[in-house]
Amino acid sequence: MAEHYDIPMPTRDQMLNLTPFFRLTPGNIITYIILAVGLVVTVMRFTLGIGAVSNLDDNYPWGIWIGFDLLCGVALAAGGYFTTVACYVLGLKRFHSAVRPAVTTAFLGYFFVVVALHYDLGHPLRLPYAFFYPGTTSVLFEVGLCVATYVTVLFCEFSVMPIEWLAHRFPVLRIFHKLITKTVILLTIFGVTLSTLHQSSLGSLFLIAPGKLHPLWYSPFMPMFFFVSSMAAGASMVIFEGMLTHKGLQFYMDTNHAKDSKLVTLSFSRAASFILMGYFMLKLIDMIVQNNFAYLFSGYGVLWLVEMFGFVLLPALIYAKGARDGNEHICQIGSIITVLGIIFNRFNVSIIAFNWHLPAAERYFPSWHEITVSIFIVTLIITVYRFIVYHMPVLYEHPNFRHHG
Amino acid sequence: MRHTLFPLTGLLLLLSLACLLPAGAQAAAVDELEATDSGAPTAIMMLPGGDKKAAGSMKPVVFNHLIHERKIEDCTVCHHTGDPQKCSDCHTLKGSEEGKYITLERAMHATNIAPRTDGPTPQSCVSCHEQQLKRRECAGCHSIAKPARDDRWCGVCHSVTSSMSAQQLQQAASGTLPDDERDELAARTVLEKRYATPLRPELLPSRIRLDSLSDKFGPNYFNHRRHVASLMRRIQDDKLAAAFHKDPASLCTACHHNSPASATPPSCASCHAARIDPANPGTPTLKAAYHLQCMGCHDGMKVARPLKTSCASCHKPRTEEGQ
Amino acid sequence: MNRRKFLALLGTAGVGGALATPGMAAAKAHVFPGYEDSYGVLHDVTRCIGCRQCEEACNAVNSLPQPKTAFDDLDVLGVRRRTSAYEWTVVNQYTIDDKPYFRKLQCFHCNEPACASACFAKCFTKNPDGSVTYNGDQCVGCRYCMIACPFYIPGFQYDEPFDPLVQKCTFCKPRLDKGQLPGCVEACPMDALTFGRRSDLIRLARRRIEENPGRYTDYIYGEWDAGGTAWMVLAPASKETAGKSDVGAAGATDVMHAIGLDTHLGTQPMGELTYGALGTVPLIVAFWPILFGGLYGISKSREARNEMRNKIMRAAVRQDMAAAMDDAVRRIEQQQGPEAAEVARQALEDAVEERRQAALDASRFARKEDH
Repeated sequence: MAEHYDIPMPTRDQMLNLTPFFRLTPGNIITYIILAVGLVVTVMRFTLGIGAVSNLDDNYPWGIWIGFDLLCGVALAAGGYFTTVACYVLGLKRFHSAVRPAVTTAFLGYFFVVVALHYDLGHPLRLPYAFFYPGTTSVLFEVGLCVATYVTVLFCEFSVMPIEWLAHRFPVLRIFHKLITKTVILLTIFGVTLSTLHQSSLGSLFLIAPGKLHPLWYSPFMPMFFFVSSMAAGASMVIFEGMLTHKGLQFYMDTNHAKDSKLVTLSFSRAASFILMGYFMLKLIDMIVQNNFAYLFSGYGVLWLVEMFGFVLLPALIYAKGARDGNEHICQIGSIITVLGIIFNRFNVSIIAFNWHLPAAERYFPSWHEITVSIFIVTLIITVYRFIVYHMPVLYEHPNFRHHG
Repeated sequence: MRHTLFPLTGLLLLLSLACLLPAGAQAAAVDELEATDSGAPTAIMMLPGGDKKAAGSMKPVVFNHLIHERKIEDCTVCHHTGDPQKCSDCHTLKGSEEGKYITLERAMHATNIAPRTDGPTPQSCVSCHEQQLKRRECAGCHSIAKPARDDRWCGVCHSVTSSMSAQQLQQAASGTLPDDERDELAARTVLEKRYATPLRPELLPSRIRLDSLSDKFGPNYFNHRRHVASLMRRIQDDKLAAAFHKDPASLCTACHHNSPASATPPSCASCHAARIDPANPGTPTLKAAYHLQCMGCHDGMKVARPLKTSCASCHKPRTEEGQ
Repeated sequence: MNRRKFLALLGTAGVGGALATPGMAAAKAHVFPGYEDSYGVLHDVTRCIGCRQCEEACNAVNSLPQPKTAFDDLDVLGVRRRTSAYEWTVVNQYTIDDKPYFRKLQCFHCNEPACASACFAKCFTKNPDGSVTYNGDQCVGCRYCMIACPFYIPGFQYDEPFDPLVQKCTFCKPRLDKGQLPGCVEACPMDALTFGRRSDLIRLARRRIEENPGRYTDYIYGEWDAGGTAWMVLAPASKETAGKSDVGAAGATDVMHAIGLDTHLGTQPMGELTYGALGTVPLIVAFWPILFGGLYGISKSREARNEMRNKIMRAAVRQDMAAAMDDAVRRIEQQQGPEAAEVARQALEDAVEERRQAALDASRFARKEDH
């Protein structure tokens, strides 16, 4: 059925396919420069301390390492649960080709969220202390518990890909493969439960600081806003990634994947359009109920309006137009705006509208080290994703494991 | 009826004649008083209202119109309507519409008077006297000492000459005291007014060494006599102060508070311990007691120097070698 | 006493009491009123002279590093400072009606601290003596406590590369345990800081407000704010609040804001704001698997039903076709002989197969285009 003859698949004798990393393309050169600088900053961070490399201070204990790496990282990795639920739980088999890339991104996203967290923590090695001294009243405890469990779930879901790659050498892995494919529905339901919990809990994190977060963003419904927007982020990331893989990794796609991708894009666009519309209405109602009209005429009001109209309503309409016209490119533009909008929203909540009453001199702006670390992490994700695609059946069905999961 | 009334009227006549005798003698009292510029009587007896049965509990007030009108620039300070009428014309005992239902008692005693936007804000006796406490010469002591509002305090104003008989007091309370008698008693009260002679600073301790707490700083030498003399000098001609400082040692009680007025009060340390008692956290420690009294009074009197934070102005810092 | 009587008694007194008491007890226990007899400190802003001796004492008793500017340099009072990992208390100068006032800032030692609610490694403890203390041995360094603290108190040792900890005022817990006063309280030359039982301090504050009309704003900051704090602030009166009694949080807002205190924190502990969200966790854990399991079941059975229907239809079509083909071939055989019939059969079979393949492809696309 699926044509894959021209895909450079690893074989028993040729397990590694690293040549794409050694080509002197501009992408590779930039990647290596970022990785080199990132490693230097990493060494600085872990030898000189957080204060030496970041602009974090007592008023801003959380900067972009949390605002971007954690909040955006988790939100943008929502494609994992979104796609698996659509495909496995709702039985929409036509999205099957989108599952593997989405699960891969989700796993990498969460894994590197945990990696990035180590930069931000004062005592990174004590991360498991959360389970030895469980602070059950803490929202962060719930986030930690869910993320830790969900990373495990994602690892299981993801593991079929490395297994299919390594099964040439280690046939014993086939047992696990069988186990995972048998339990995929359980994993999916477990995954969506955990995702609902921690995606919303990232919003709950700020519930405890009503005096610090600007009223236009602070709301008792922040958990719901974070969860709903994560669904839009998940759908958009699948479209966005589809666009990127079609640009750079099309040689690793089988015809089924290539054929289905337009269908996935259009369907997910329609879903995202609905979700964004709903999100827009929720935020609007919340603003009205909290009677925040007066704030709309301040600088923060403009920021809020830009977020709401430029990064929620606009992409919702673009998605609707794209899905209606069957135009993939319009949908892809919508996905770019949505992804940027999610980042914008998370930045607003965690940094820009946080401590809004502090004088300008005491406000936070990230240092170049912090930005470097964030770029470094993103680059790492892309590089590892490339490695996975070069070696494992993500964008194609492995001939030895057809009709499995 | 008629037969029984006649002897009664005769009796009344006799009684009034008998009363006329001392009244005639007192006629001199009214004339002895210096006349006011405004034309108002110099001494006015104001009768407390309220319960007829309990009327004996509060004595009438004799208001010296002369010394009060000399202290103010404008009659409207008290006569806030602009007419030189009696307070009780509007402020009746029960309150009336003209008086905006402010009773006579309130009109005399209210302290928390909302500022009027139209026209002058009225003053009561007490509110005006309270404002006088904010004058620099008073504010020092009175920012740290709040006299108790007890019978003694009330009695400063609510007092009449001792020659006013119990019967007259009763008549006054029931409103049947004849006007000429009333004027005579008022004048006599003013004439009999005697002020206490304050203690002479020379008799008081001169320089006091306060050293029970000194550790970082050396002892403080408090020039007690100079402080007292300075305070006395400022109020020596002040009739208001003289009227309220009824005891020769009244002035002492500003600092030596919470003990009966005396020329030899107990020391601060007899109540204020060096360490706070957790069971009684309201009592300041000795160090704080000193500082609160000194700085509170200096604050009130707007003594700019020394600064509160310039410790060395009052205590010599102990040098390293000295320790 | 017979059984009937016994039951009647039980009915009137016992059961009624049993029903009423636990319910009432539970309702009371829902709100933690703070430890009984816990200590606190009342900061009387009208007494504070800004001498920074509390800062100096705090630095000394806690062995904190020497600051850049000496403690007798009072110029720093004009600059708005906050507490940090190395300055557990600071005094700032504020202005109310053009008059200068000083306020000391340190951990407020909340009755139900936000930092303790926020910490996921249980580093913070509200002790029965009123102090809120921190155990750095289990701190992961996430700094969520600093996000949560409504008073901007905890500081982090950003300059420490290997063992950075959160630091804040401890209420001089080690000194309290020894029966000593907190360093700052002992050093205060004005008793602007009064140490005592929290309940006594509230009474004391009320008495001071009453006995000194016009001196204080009639609001004890910390009595209820953020669920109540052990350290409370008595603020001076402004033109607006002078002489007014019991102004409440709204009435005191301007004065408190002028001395850097937030009156909008509400009267419930900050942690309670997250309880609603945390309360949905078990709900989702219980409900989501059932919901999504149900959805899965529905989609699965629908799929199976479709499959079955298609199968039956396909079988019927095949049977019809086979019968028609047989019929046609039989007629050709009768009219043109067996050879022609064989050719016809072959042709028919090929055509059917071709059609089937085309239909299969078409249906797959149609299905996809559909959705």
